[in-house]
Amino acid sequence: MKPFAYVKAANEQQALAALGRERGKVLPLAGGMDLVSLLKDRIATPDRLVNVKGLDGTITATPDGGLRIGSAVRLVDLQAHPTVTAQYQALMEAAAEVGTPQIRNLGTVGGNLMQRPRCWYYRNEEFPCLKKGGARCYSVDGENQFHAIFGGGPCHIVHPSSLAVPLVAFGAKVRIVGPRGEREVLAEEFFELPERNLYGETALRPDELLTHVIVPPARAMKSATYEVRFRSSHDWPIAFASVALQLQGSTVTDARVVLGAVAPIPWRSPEAEAALKGQPLNEATATKAAEAALAGATPMTQNAYKVQVAKTAVKRALLHAAGVSA
Amino acid sequence: MADEPMMPLDESIAGEQVAEVNLPATANPNSPYAWPKERRILSTRVNRIDGPVKVSGRAKYSYDMKRPGMLYGRILRSPHPHARITALDLGPALKMPGVKAAVPIAKVGGKLMYVGDEVAAVAAVTEDQARDAARAIKVEYEILPFLANVEQALQPEAPPVFEGGNVKASQTEEEGSITAGFAAAAHIVEQTYNTQVQTHVSLETHGCMCEWEGEKLTAWVSTQAVHGTREGFATSLGIPQANVRVITEHMGGGFGSKFGPDVQGIACARLAKEAKAPVQLMLDRREEHLAAGNRPSAYAKIKAGVSADGMLTAFEAESWGTGGAGASSGFPLPYIYTFPNRRRVHKDVYINAGQQRAMRAPGHPQGCFITEMLMDELADRVKMDPIEFRIRNLPPQAPNAMWREYFKIGASKFGWDKRHATGDPTPGPIKRGMGCAANRWGGGGRGTQAQCEILPDGGVVVRCGTQDLGVGTRTLIAVIAAETLGLQVKDIKVELGDSNYPFSGGSGGSTTAPAVSPAIRVTVSKVLQELATRVAPAIGVAAADITASGGRVHSKTTPGKGLSWADACKRLQTTPVSVNAGWEPGLSASGSSGVQFAEVSVDIETGIAKVDRILCVQDCGLIVNQLTAESQCIGGMVMGVGYALYEDRILDRNTAMQVNPNMEWYLVPGMSDIPKIDIMLMNQPERGVIGIGEPPTISTAAAIANAVANAIGVRVRSIPLTPQKVLTALEGERAGGTQ
Amino acid sequence: MAHPVPESRLVSPDVHCAHLRHKGMYVLTTPDPGEQKHAGTWDATAYWCTQTQKAMGPDGSAANAACCVAGNGRGCCH
Repeated sequence: MKPFAYVKAANEQQALAALGRERGKVLPLAGGMDLVSLLKDRIATPDRLVNVKGLDGTITATPDGGLRIGSAVRLVDLQAHPTVTAQYQALMEAAAEVGTPQIRNLGTVGGNLMQRPRCWYYRNEEFPCLKKGGARCYSVDGENQFHAIFGGGPCHIVHPSSLAVPLVAFGAKVRIVGPRGEREVLAEEFFELPERNLYGETALRPDELLTHVIVPPARAMKSATYEVRFRSSHDWPIAFASVALQLQGSTVTDARVVLGAVAPIPWRSPEAEAALKGQPLNEATATKAAEAALAGATPMTQNAYKVQVAKTAVKRALLHAAGVSA
Repeated sequence: MADEPMMPLDESIAGEQVAEVNLPATANPNSPYAWPKERRILSTRVNRIDGPVKVSGRAKYSYDMKRPGMLYGRILRSPHPHARITALDLGPALKMPGVKAAVPIAKVGGKLMYVGDEVAAVAAVTEDQARDAARAIKVEYEILPFLANVEQALQPEAPPVFEGGNVKASQTEEEGSITAGFAAAAHIVEQTYNTQVQTHVSLETHGCMCEWEGEKLTAWVSTQAVHGTREGFATSLGIPQANVRVITEHMGGGFGSKFGPDVQGIACARLAKEAKAPVQLMLDRREEHLAAGNRPSAYAKIKAGVSADGMLTAFEAESWGTGGAGASSGFPLPYIYTFPNRRRVHKDVYINAGQQRAMRAPGHPQGCFITEMLMDELADRVKMDPIEFRIRNLPPQAPNAMWREYFKIGASKFGWDKRHATGDPTPGPIKRGMGCAANRWGGGGRGTQAQCEILPDGGVVVRCGTQDLGVGTRTLIAVIAAETLGLQVKDIKVELGDSNYPFSGGSGGSTTAPAVSPAIRVTVSKVLQELATRVAPAIGVAAADITASGGRVHSKTTPGKGLSWADACKRLQTTPVSVNAGWEPGLSASGSSGVQFAEVSVDIETGIAKVDRILCVQDCGLIVNQLTAESQCIGGMVMGVGYALYEDRILDRNTAMQVNPNMEWYLVPGMSDIPKIDIMLMNQPERGVIGIGEPPTISTAAAIANAVANAIGVRVRSIPLTPQKVLTALEGERAGGTQ
Repeated sequence: MAHPVPESRLVSPDVHCAHLRHKGMYVLTTPDPGEQKHAGTWDATAYWCTQTQKAMGPDGSAANAACCVAGNGRGCCH
């Protein structure tokens, strides 16, 4: 890796000051689960790293009954938090699927949301791909079996974060601080498609820092995440889905359906949500919702199978959330 | 994990149909060194003597070697699949911080044949400095046309990349009459099958530490052949072999890919010479995938016939595969089963990718997968149970061909009677199925020499210039020496992995146990004779009447007459007994057979196959250490699970660059992907020792692939069995059938 | 004592370049009576040249038993 300077920030203010405005040349380091491999592979070549483990690492209740999750919270702690396990099952399940126990012991919530894509063209230095400032996306006529089936390009990554998907399903916000003060952005708007933001994946500006995730109250929400991955041990999902449901008896009064690993952002499906509203939740309606969610998919040359995998993930997440066995 | 019936081979199993063989398939019971009839330690479960140092991290692998003042070496590799070097300037690298040496590997004007082909190497004080310096080397390339895969190479308009052609056809293999064979067939299957390129993924990567002392080179190498690597260093560097010492104290696997110094070893030695300092040069995972060998891919377009009563009649195949840039890709086909009429043509297809090397049972897993898939398809055509069908078409039973018996024993153990016909009728997305496959291997070794010393303080040292790849060779030596001397395993000090010790061949072809075990038995028996001669007067019997057992050296005829081991050794006063001896025939053999069974669950809504359990029925002659023999089976089967489901070297079709040169996207089974494994080791003590390193990996993928077809009712004729392939096959079936 | 002897059926000092190698030259086997019977003829041999440590000779052409033979006109043969 390229040599770099290292600064430790005790809190938000110090972190912001140390990060300055030249993101890319200066990068925040939390658990390092993604960043260190980016450095070793020379995908990231910063001049300076700022240790931001000193950011808020707690999970607290908000006055309205939601949760405020510090970006330095470790995944292992998120996964075990009593409120998360009791009320936000989709988030707990997503956190539990991340990487390996070693990764969850060090990886943080902020790091999981801000990790860079796992696209093998992006991650191999030898491919000067679009996202790295090159002229073409190699996946288009290359090895795209794990690439996007939604999103329209021109870069066809799938978003790597497991937590982003349930957070969008919950209607969560992220708290961002920067030299101009702080702001809160809906998770759904935080993640950006390549057509809008080719070189990054989020709305975070170069001089800003993600400090918290704010999750609205769960109320009677039933939620679940269902991930399909090939290997049982450490592997990236082929597709997954998080759903958040409000039910009256077995009838769906409100639904949010979000797909993961199918698009450059967590992919919300209004089509599936509309198909569910007012319907009893059972295998037939879950299957219909899954069909609706994937109706607009535009597979690449080798990843049509992901459509079927993603349908299964949506269907099973819905049934699992509602406690209906398939 | 395994229940191990210690099944001696008796008449009823060997049966009447004993094949004619070219070599005695049994050991010589009249050898003066014959294996003991009553085994005290042999064939039992003995923990590895180096287990504690390994699990506590104290074992020093080549990767762990540290020498005073050592430098780190790195190699600059070709970023292009095919290019000519037009300029090479090491100057900028030499100016980088910490850099002490740089050497060219390729020549200006020379060609690079694949991404990862070596260009030059540097040595620097830290590993990062060396990496940075390698990047600073200035190279100009003339980019040449390339072939990224077999399909491209087979195009008529493909650019001529390789001298003499991109395709090399082999001779036709033919037996009987194809025409008559197909005329006798009631059913004919015509299909194409294929296997992927698999890389070795040794946990310890290739590489070494080189240190010069004047003209003498000591190299700590991760190698399967300390003596062979000594010869390799000397020949390549043009120095006397007597000036080279190669050491491999502990080793993290090679699987056939580590038989010499390699490019990096020679570069390392040259860097160390130039820098006048020890240099360590270990490859990283990416380099392993690109340039350290692989198992070639295999394709076969087959037409095969079966008679109405389930006898194979004809086999016609056109096969091909790629071993990378200019390397062969042969494999046995058909595998094991008897097709009375057959014809096969094979061609090697060259592409711009890293060259193949021997990999755990070269050729066999490919031939096994293709043939065993075909066997199940043919069995389905005649509506016959796959095992019954196989038994009808196997060669006659013999000690090295026990499949009939093993299929029966295994089927009973596995619960084969619960297998349903092709296609699990159970409702719901999870379909379960069973499959089976057979394997055969040679595994005969020779030529090993050894030294044994008995010291006046009672110590016993055995030295042998073999190497322990991680399989338990060190323990095997101790077991045999202890058995022979009537001592305990802990009483034996084993020294190996050093080219200064007596010669032993490379550890490949499952030859280590059958080459080393007789050498140790003979050498230790002879040293015991020497001891007997020295202590006979004290015991008061003739030397020829002396033996050792139970920690005593005593008379055979009057066991009460004798001395404790310690007291006997004290009689040596100041002079140990020391004997050099070696392998003799009659204690080992060649030729093993085995079968495997797999049960899988396939989720037809996701295409994900999971292996639930595997049963391995395997022989390897006389089992030396039951525990490490089982470990070999476990390792082989885990590798077979990877071959069946996960592993695939994926080259980008447009650039010939590997997209998964890592362990993130090149998947090997993790702990939770490993099924329940049962092992039935069939002990054949009367045959002597046979190696078991290779056979257990051969038929795992075939058994799994057949189980997947049995589960889902659709045949996926290509491994790895990814969700992509499984779902595509199911989709094809729904759209009108692929059978 | 039975001394090890070279056994390569593929590379002969009388015919082939002294720099040609393959794994079988380092591994001492005894013949498997089943090999011919059940496997037929096939070749998966990976060759290398001691001068380059890979499957190409110093002249950039392939190194194998078919081409690294006496009288092939290659300057690199020994």
